[in-house]
Amino acid sequence: MLRAGSRRTHGTRPTHERGPAAEALRLVKVSKTYGTGDGAVTALDGVTFGLGRGTFTAVMGPSGSGKTTLLHCAAGLDRPDSGIVCVDGTELTGGGEAELTRFRRGRIGFVFQQYNLLETLTVAQNTVLPLKLAGQRVDRGRAKEVLASVGLGDRLGHRPGQLSGGQRQRVAIARALVTEPRVIFADEPTGALDTRSAREVLLLLQRAVRAHGRTVVMVTHDPVAASYADSVLFLADGRLAGRMDAPTADAVAERLAHLGDTVTTGV
Amino acid sequence: MFLLAMRSIRHRPGRFLATLLSAFLGAAIIMTFNSMHDTAAQDGVDSTSAETLSTAAGVVGGYGTLLVFFAVASALTVNVRQRAAELELLRCSGATEAQLKRMVVGEAVAVALVGTALAIGPAMLGGRALLEVFQDSGQVAESVDPVFGPIAFMTGIDITLLASAGAAFLAVRRATRGQERRGGARKFLAYAALLTGAVSALATFVFSATDAALMAPPAYGAILLSVGFALMAPRLLEAVLDRLPLSGAIGWLAVRNLRERAGQLAGILMSLILFTAVATATLTMQAVESDAVAASGLTKSIDAKNLETLNFTVVGIIVVFVCVMLVNSLYAATSYRVREFGQQRLAGATPGQVLGTVGMETLVLTVTGVVFGMAAALAGIVPFTMVRTDGVLPGEVYGIGVAVTAVAAAVTLGTSLATARRMLRTPAVGAVAVAS
Repeated sequence: MLRAGSRRTHGTRPTHERGPAAEALRLVKVSKTYGTGDGAVTALDGVTFGLGRGTFTAVMGPSGSGKTTLLHCAAGLDRPDSGIVCVDGTELTGGGEAELTRFRRGRIGFVFQQYNLLETLTVAQNTVLPLKLAGQRVDRGRAKEVLASVGLGDRLGHRPGQLSGGQRQRVAIARALVTEPRVIFADEPTGALDTRSAREVLLLLQRAVRAHGRTVVMVTHDPVAASYADSVLFLADGRLAGRMDAPTADAVAERLAHLGDTVTTGV
Repeated sequence: MFLLAMRSIRHRPGRFLATLLSAFLGAAIIMTFNSMHDTAAQDGVDSTSAETLSTAAGVVGGYGTLLVFFAVASALTVNVRQRAAELELLRCSGATEAQLKRMVVGEAVAVALVGTALAIGPAMLGGRALLEVFQDSGQVAESVDPVFGPIAFMTGIDITLLASAGAAFLAVRRATRGQERRGGARKFLAYAALLTGAVSALATFVFSATDAALMAPPAYGAILLSVGFALMAPRLLEAVLDRLPLSGAIGWLAVRNLRERAGQLAGILMSLILFTAVATATLTMQAVESDAVAASGLTKSIDAKNLETLNFTVVGIIVVFVCVMLVNSLYAATSYRVREFGQQRLAGATPGQVLGTVGMETLVLTVTGVVFGMAAALAGIVPFTMVRTDGVLPGEVYGIGVAVTAVAAAVTLGTSLATARRMLRTPAVGAVAVAS
């Protein structure tokens, strides 16, 4: 069923030996259905794959293919109906929202299309918010350093409302990086940005992987954005429908255009 | 536009509940008291009874009009602010400002009509009960029958409709015009209120212990001081925040949120200050007065009894209205933040931390409001007590203060925590997706 050998991990890059798990993320037969009865929609149908540490993976597919559900289930924002999700070798189990939140802290960082920065806080305060909430000591120097590395060293006291979309998304990346998470999930991070800002954001995500050994999983519908990743996972009708390593924008677009065909011919 | 107004009410009755409740309560109170005019106007009522009834109707009717206006205005302001996106959409679709105004005013008038209609029954019963209170205390002759006539009916409808239409007009104008420009005027009014309040409270010492009007200067003083504080609410809040040694994620976030939203929260703080000051000052002074009369061994005159009834009624009405306003504006302000709560949760806040932050914010707000309200109340209570009795601070003030604080805290904390809890039921990802 899963033609592209989705269990294969992409381990060409030297992994940083910081923890016991070689795989940053593993999903086993994850299924999720919304609604009941006739109106039920199967968003994920037995998805299984693993991602090695220090990899940059794009998840692509047509609208309604289940990419956002996949991201939410893998990131512990939503609970799958069945199947196993492991982040950094630890299984994400059920439990209340508080438990899931504590699980995500330090393991998972987020970058969203709509930034989701708090309007009442400055750039610097937004960046250190996850540390504050986790009750960790806040290293202001470190926060400054991270913000400088995304090119916002001179915007510490600004509010999100005073920044451009690209700048806001870079703040969101700094916020995701500051807790040094094992996996960063990015949901259409360039969806609301112009081409130049999008390129800056994608290069930053790429650098987080190459220079700092983070693992990035990015949901996108844009073949150009996907071409910045090391590999692309294709999703159609809630199932994995292939994988492409070292993607180029043209190849990804070509593959996407024929994704419907391969599924109907029963791959 | 009127059709659109009717349609928007029919499809979202929940949104108009706050406005409806304010209009209903207002109309009920106005009609209850104005039915005393009707009762007094019938044949065969002796002059003392008629005077008692008319005074009650006049004083509370006047207070009631103001309160209806404020309550409906606060409900509508929130309503219009939450519908900013919808109004913007209508404007983009070609609606002129006048059309929007007609729509919002039309909605408000329709809701006010329904509220008034619903209030007629309760107001009739209320009028009966009020008359019985007056008769039991001997202020009105037993032979007087309750009447619910044209005065009650007309004033109820007129005042509620006018207040609703006026409040709606102002709310939509504020929303479409954008920024306010009353900074200087507001400051001037605040200082003027504080100054006249202080003068009025000090004027108490000019009176002698047995003067009938002794209660007036300190009561006005306390009310004016609380109005002054209320007008300065945003700056008072900022001053308090500057001195707050809160640490930890919850305190840190709460202080920053409050600082950022100080302007919006001013309305809530204003209601809190006024409520605390008026309730504490009036109830305490009335208690001191009753004690002093009892100690002197005299029986109360009809006037003194009237004053007592009026005091309690006015406080009762203010308490009910301010509670409705607080619940309404806190509910709206908190439910408006569902997206922000979602963002906090995605940034790593547990539901407990979100609730803790909301609780901390409300606590700071409540304590600030109660402290300044109590300060204004004491400015009236102390001079009154010094002139009326030999003491400085009456024993009653503690019990009354605790009771008033408890009501304020229960209303504010209860509303904002219950609302926040409900908002947390939406999954975090869904909450940030809501186009607020």
